[in-house]
Amino acid sequence: MPAILEARDLVKRYRLGAGDVEALRGVSLSVERGEFVAFMGPSGSGKSTLLHLLGGLDRPTSGEVILDGAAISSLSDDAATRLRREQTGFVFQFFNLVPLLSVRENVALPFMIAGQDPNRGEAAERIGDAIAAVDLAGKERNRPDQLSAGEQQRVAIARALVHRPALVLADEPTGNLDFTTGTDVLESLWRSCTQRGQTIVLVTHDAKAAAYADRVFFLRDGLVRDEIVLGRRDEHGAAPLIARLAQLGL
Amino acid sequence: MGAIHSLARRTLFARRARTILTILGIGLGIGVLVAAVVTNASLDAAAASTVRERLGNADVRISALEERGLSPASVAAAAAAPGVAIAAPQLEARTYPRLSATGGGAALPDPVTVIGVDPVVDPKVHARPLSAGSGLPADRADVALVSEALARDDGLVVGETITLEGAADAKPAVLTVTGIVAATGGPDPAGRNVVVPLATAQALFQPGDAGGRVSRVDVVAADGADPSAVEEALVAALALEPYSLTTPAEAEADLVASTSGLRGIIALVVVVVLFGAAFLVFNTLAMSVAERVREVGLLRAAGMTRRQVRLLVLFQAVHLGVGGAIVGLVLGIGLATGVTVLLGGAVPAAAGSPVLPPLEIALALLVGLAVTAAAALEPAFLAASIPPVEALRLQADLAGGRPVRLRWLLAVLVLVGAVGLLLIPVPATAAGYLAPLAVYGILVVAALAIPFVLGPLGRLAGLLVAPFLPLEERLTRGALVRDRSRAALTVGALVVAVAMISALGGVAASTRAAADAWLTEVVPGNEVLVAVHPVALDDPVLDELRAVDGVARVSPIGRFAIAAGGYRLDTVAISGADFAADGRLRFVAGDPATALAALDAGGAAILSRGRADALGLDLGGTLTATAAEGPVDLAVAGIVDRSVPGESGEAVLVGWPDASRLGALGADLFAVRYAAGAEATARPALDDVAVLYALQPADLGDIRGAVGTSLERMFDLLDMLAVVALLVAALGIANTLTMNVLERVREIGVLRAAGLTRRQVWRMVVVEATILALVGAAVGAVAGVAAAGTMVAAGGGTAPSFDPGWLTLGMAVAGSVALATLAAVYPARVAGRIEIVRAVSYE
Ligand SMILES: Nc1ncnc2c1ncn2[C@@H]1O[C@H](COP(=O)(O)OP(=O)(O)OP(=O)(O)O)[C@@H](O)[C@H]1O
Ligand SMILES: [Mg+2]
Repeated sequence: MPAILEARDLVKRYRLGAGDVEALRGVSLSVERGEFVAFMGPSGSGKSTLLHLLGGLDRPTSGEVILDGAAISSLSDDAATRLRREQTGFVFQFFNLVPLLSVRENVALPFMIAGQDPNRGEAAERIGDAIAAVDLAGKERNRPDQLSAGEQQRVAIARALVHRPALVLADEPTGNLDFTTGTDVLESLWRSCTQRGQTIVLVTHDAKAAAYADRVFFLRDGLVRDEIVLGRRDEHGAAPLIARLAQLGL
Repeated sequence: MGAIHSLARRTLFARRARTILTILGIGLGIGVLVAAVVTNASLDAAAASTVRERLGNADVRISALEERGLSPASVAAAAAAPGVAIAAPQLEARTYPRLSATGGGAALPDPVTVIGVDPVVDPKVHARPLSAGSGLPADRADVALVSEALARDDGLVVGETITLEGAADAKPAVLTVTGIVAATGGPDPAGRNVVVPLATAQALFQPGDAGGRVSRVDVVAADGADPSAVEEALVAALALEPYSLTTPAEAEADLVASTSGLRGIIALVVVVVLFGAAFLVFNTLAMSVAERVREVGLLRAAGMTRRQVRLLVLFQAVHLGVGGAIVGLVLGIGLATGVTVLLGGAVPAAAGSPVLPPLEIALALLVGLAVTAAAALEPAFLAASIPPVEALRLQADLAGGRPVRLRWLLAVLVLVGAVGLLLIPVPATAAGYLAPLAVYGILVVAALAIPFVLGPLGRLAGLLVAPFLPLEERLTRGALVRDRSRAALTVGALVVAVAMISALGGVAASTRAAADAWLTEVVPGNEVLVAVHPVALDDPVLDELRAVDGVARVSPIGRFAIAAGGYRLDTVAISGADFAADGRLRFVAGDPATALAALDAGGAAILSRGRADALGLDLGGTLTATAAEGPVDLAVAGIVDRSVPGESGEAVLVGWPDASRLGALGADLFAVRYAAGAEATARPALDDVAVLYALQPADLGDIRGAVGTSLERMFDLLDMLAVVALLVAALGIANTLTMNVLERVREIGVLRAAGLTRRQVWRMVVVEATILALVGAAVGAVAGVAAAGTMVAAGGGTAPSFDPGWLTLGMAVAGSVALATLAAVYPARVAGRIEIVRAVSYE
């Protein structure tokens, strides 16, 4: 299977007053189409930075990101934006939604931005499906502030998935959710991976969440320290992963 | 205290661009205030110096009421009155300097004003400083002094000659220029004055037995004589013919009063601009509070008291206010200089350089600071009300949850209004206050209505934009209602500015239209010939004009003044038969045919409704005019809706038989009616004849009665001030949008992550501005038309035909929308440059 996403020797340095901070110090990896991968690691290890670079939200200091054959890290801002719009969907830990748009409009954003009429044809259908898939049918007209945190996060997922991007990037999407709601969110991501063949990149602290992945990359100090291959399983118990982590002394 | 102070300074410094915008806004507000104060002082000073120039060191001026002037007997009586040291007679007349010899359609030269003076007596009363040459020699008749403006216009130098046309049967005078007068205060509206020996002027303008008359006598009281006693002595001595007495103080008061309308409007503009500036301060501070809810929450949690938080915000305001005051001072003096220059040409009493009254300027600066501080109060209390737990909330939304701060808005509006009315002296009459108050009321209502109309109007404006930029429009829509009060405040500043401009435009257009309509309605002709000095009705020119092929009628019209019941009344002599056949006087009382026939028969007058009301006269009543030959009784034969414009209000219409009894010398205008279809061919022929007889052909539209170019220049000035108001509003929009953007950093980050390009973000912000501007312009235009209507109606009912001034209105709307859109460029760039990663990972 061809790699949909490839990172080549990524370095990200932040300039900070006295000295530089190296958030990433040479990360290379590749993710295949339809794979579910997770990044774990201690706080400050560079997980979010890596995710942002992979999704084209930011540019590396050096190195390259190849998304679906295109070097997104060296495209112009407009071109990168267009590629991002077509190929990716993002879920963040906080602040995912535009507060003044309704649930439906938030989900419809990718179509609206691309200049399609979200009330007609396939777009309308997909929006309906995406909302139903995250169990929010009936709340389309609500505003984000009228939803619980878990519901807000599901809206974010529906939006990330609605235009069927090849790649879905999620940064601790379950970080501030309780166990059950967190599981709902992970199940949604899992279904999009298994049923639609979408590629999922998940950043998490939580071994239970990472246990959904086919492979888990373990970051520390801006480098990939370990890679744990779990393989595709229908059951997502965290035990095997926790065991492996312990084995590695992590 | 010191720590809070430095915190306040640092927060302003951290948001430098916004701070500068706000200081500029306050600076503009204070600048306009200072400019108004300086303009006021300059107008007063100019009035005083103009009077000094006109009256010299005379204690009383005796002016003839009748057109033919005061007789030699009156002059002698004045000179002989007890307590009179010097009586300096003057004859003033308008004429042309040298007619082009061959006519042939050549245009007439610009007219000049001739002042005949006694070469021996005049220098004792009037200092006429010379910039070249010497004064009038006592022993020569063929000499003249010319003003600098005339010398410059016509290329005259000392030693050259100037030829002046005289009355119909007088020979032109060829005069040697002996000196150039440096002073600017002569009576000619264009500054083209010629001073000649009195005898020369009398020979020129009063050929035959009418000679020896003068327009006025300037009287200097003897040393130690009480001026009011001298006045009484003059009243006792002068019994021959109607006259009026003016002291320098009265003349100055008249001049000052003549600028009161202007001052009232300037006051209004000041109030509006201050109001806009107050918006800006409020906006800036309220937003910096909203932005820093969490920070303030933390400070509160760490033990800062509410009082300290309030101080923090107020300190910021003081900084902004002081910065604004400095900018305002510089700007204001610059603006006042511009205003004075502009006014120099518009209001005769305003020539001169700006006067800087220190006390008033200090007061203006204080008022600016006070308005700034008042505007800061609400945000200060808002900040203090933030509970410490707010710091812990995820999506603290302070501004959105608050009700519209109408009470605050009303308080600032009233404060600013009071400041405006107190600071600028408006005429003491109740009516003088009424119009500005009514207009201000309309603006207040418009501003207060915005929060309620913003939603629906915003949607409507969005419909205009949506077909082109649907996504941007949709993303903007919510932002408009996010903080309704803030949007309302921003739009309010714009509303008020647009309202000002369109109100002023409406007034100007209506005044012009009214003057036009007035003339075209009442004058029986297609064209008017203007005489520079009165033409007797038996003058051959009338027959020559009537003889031109295609001319159906030439109707003489004479303008003069009569004295009746102690008042000076503008009077116009007309031919009743011509008006019966052609004019369109609208009679509200009396039968038109009878009334007009009565004019031609003599002993009758037609009054305008306004005049009749003012004089308390009804149809059949009697108006008794004082004339040299004794009282003249005029029966009121008719009352018309509007009569012909005079110098100060609508004229009394009389017939020609009475005109000469009342002292009129002849016709000043000829209304020419062409036969149907003959105008194209007859007009050039008629104009040729007219020019030969020194008559200036004019379109009806060119003659605007009271509305001259000077009035238009005054409106230009007001437009300029209104543009400043618009600038303040634009700054407000830039400010609001910047804050909106900064508040939406995360939201914009999410949109960018989802694929919105920089350009789309940019457009979103600009669309927001455009929608705000469309709403503001629409409400402003409506308020402006209402305000203009009020001002026109308050203008004494002389201009019932209301013209909203579509051109100015359109320009104000288009200009404000363009300006607001332009103002969005900076915030749009800020929005476009937001880093996605920071926006979404910011906690
Ligand atoms: N804008 C920035 N400027 C300077 N340093 C930064 C910036 N963003 C991140 N860093 C630094 O880069 C390093 C990696 O940060 P990153 O956010 O990727 O960590 P993370 O693994 O996502 O941590 P967490 O689990 O806490 O989210 C950290 O040391 C952080 O301090
Ligand atoms: Mg992170």
